Amino acid sequence: MEPLSNIPGGMRYYFGREARLRRSAETAAMGVFDGWGYEEIATPSVDFYALFERGMGRGEARRSFRFTDTDGRLLALRPDVTSSVARAAATLFAGAPRPLRFCYAATVFRQRPRSHAEWRRQGRQLGCELIGAGGADADLEILAIAAEVLERLNLGGAYRVTLNHVGVFNGVAEQLGLGAEAREEMRRLVDARDAAALEEFLLALGRSGATAEHAGRLARLAGGGGLPAGARELLTNERSRAALDELERLCEVAAALGLGEWVSVDLSDVSGLDYYTGLVFKIYVEGSGTRVGAGGRYDELTANFGGREPAVGFVLDLDTLTEILAREGDGAENAAAAPSATVEGADAAARFREARRMRARGERIKME
Amino acid sequence: MLTIAIAKGRMQQDALALLARAGARVGAEALASRRLAVEDESGGYRFVFVKPADVPVYVEHGIADCGVVGRDVLLESEADVLQPLDLRINRCRIAVAAREGGRGGRPGVLHVATKYPRVAAAHFGARGVPVEIIELSGSVELAPVLGLADCIVDLVETGRTLAENGLRVVETITESTGRLVVNRASYQLKAEAVGRLVRELSRVLADGAEVTGAGGGAGA
Repeated sequence: MEPLSNIPGGMRYYFGREARLRRSAETAAMGVFDGWGYEEIATPSVDFYALFERGMGRGEARRSFRFTDTDGRLLALRPDVTSSVARAAATLFAGAPRPLRFCYAATVFRQRPRSHAEWRRQGRQLGCELIGAGGADADLEILAIAAEVLERLNLGGAYRVTLNHVGVFNGVAEQLGLGAEAREEMRRLVDARDAAALEEFLLALGRSGATAEHAGRLARLAGGGGLPAGARELLTNERSRAALDELERLCEVAAALGLGEWVSVDLSDVSGLDYYTGLVFKIYVEGSGTRVGAGGRYDELTANFGGREPAVGFVLDLDTLTEILAREGDGAENAAAAPSATVEGADAAARFREARRMRARGERIKME
Repeated sequence: MLTIAIAKGRMQQDALALLARAGARVGAEALASRRLAVEDESGGYRFVFVKPADVPVYVEHGIADCGVVGRDVLLESEADVLQPLDLRINRCRIAVAAREGGRGGRPGVLHVATKYPRVAAAHFGARGVPVEIIELSGSVELAPVLGLADCIVDLVETGRTLAENGLRVVETITESTGRLVVNRASYQLKAEAVGRLVRELSRVLADGAEVTGAGGGAGA
């Protein structure tokens, strides 16, 4: 028999200091969300698989734990929260005034982890969604909230948010006239920053050397606070240009907010979910080799559930955050368990009466 | 400081020669020692020497910011790392090889011995050929000779080892060369240092044609 000491791969316990850090980080994030007027929403842990397939795309949804309901319908342990929130916005809150502001701290599950380094199969997402508001202001609101959460966790200065806009890549792919499969391969190569392989791939598809060389440079378009040098010259199609305009405006405001140093543009960062339609961003924090958060605009997602409307949101990965905070050590005061008073006495009734009195005063106690 | 994981063995020398030309030079003394982690002369880089298959592991976890490793290893590991540069060192190919006179006559399912189970499965899977993958960790050429497998999927450089064991290449699956790989977070958080390394290496690659190392040619 399998020894009961084993736990399934990708699962773990949290206790002691880590559990306290995790709790305080979650509380801090939810406090920031609340401060910006976001209402907490709790979504079902188990839902129809079809919801996630529509919401996240088939590739991501397939990573989920799946099982069947009593009537044979396919269920999944929720692998993300956004799909469910988008459905609620289009159905439950169809008649509610816009914009909707939702936030959550929720556990998500993946049967197949995202990568070797992101090995967890259970993770906790801290996220917020702004639904029914489009334009740069909504994007900025989400970026400002993300920055504030990281600052509250004493990670100000140790993080980097990389911005991109899906229109940049889509414009190029469109211009090249690629089919769905070729386009996905091109996306993969740009994401791997593999300019040489991308050129080879396009040459093999019969594109001219100049075109391939041109597109290959898309795998190297990253810069500091503003648009990468050469982006304007390289990306001349209308769709990409409009995307660059949006990004540039965002960068300008971010700089004006004093966030310029922590925000950069990486036009080659094209990994992630298919459902984004505009701004996309990733959050990296010193001390972690994997990304800590991601977000973006997903204007088409709600259309899957009945009504298209603009939406933007982001999530932070609490488990990765906890790992960074636990390694740092300077959150120690926060994380140390407060001292407690021991309640003594021979008589049980007296002892508990005293204990209840101390508790009423808010003291931290421990029964002898 | 950037930490660079280098695949030990046949690629090491060429990789270090290339990096030295790009401004990341390890002193002879440090190299001669048996230390597994050494700093370069400028103090801008730290090198760690690990087994080839471990390079993507260190880089994917961000313990090393960058790495130099063969494409064959990357394909097999399916690691989620960035691959900005083909260093054009240690050119070889992953190929299917069998005994002279065919793949052996057993009908139904092909028995394939390999150190590259994922690459082999993907290759035959794409052709609809049912295979039994037999994973070995070395001397793969022996398998068809002794009758453990009908064919092998292995790294082929000169083909000499194959020939000496009565095997020949049936089909090339893909080419492999040394690659620079970068951790996703390091690429952003240490953008300046990583950018400099990529630029310098690109310059060196554009300067000299193929970089050929002193110790090349050995092996399969």
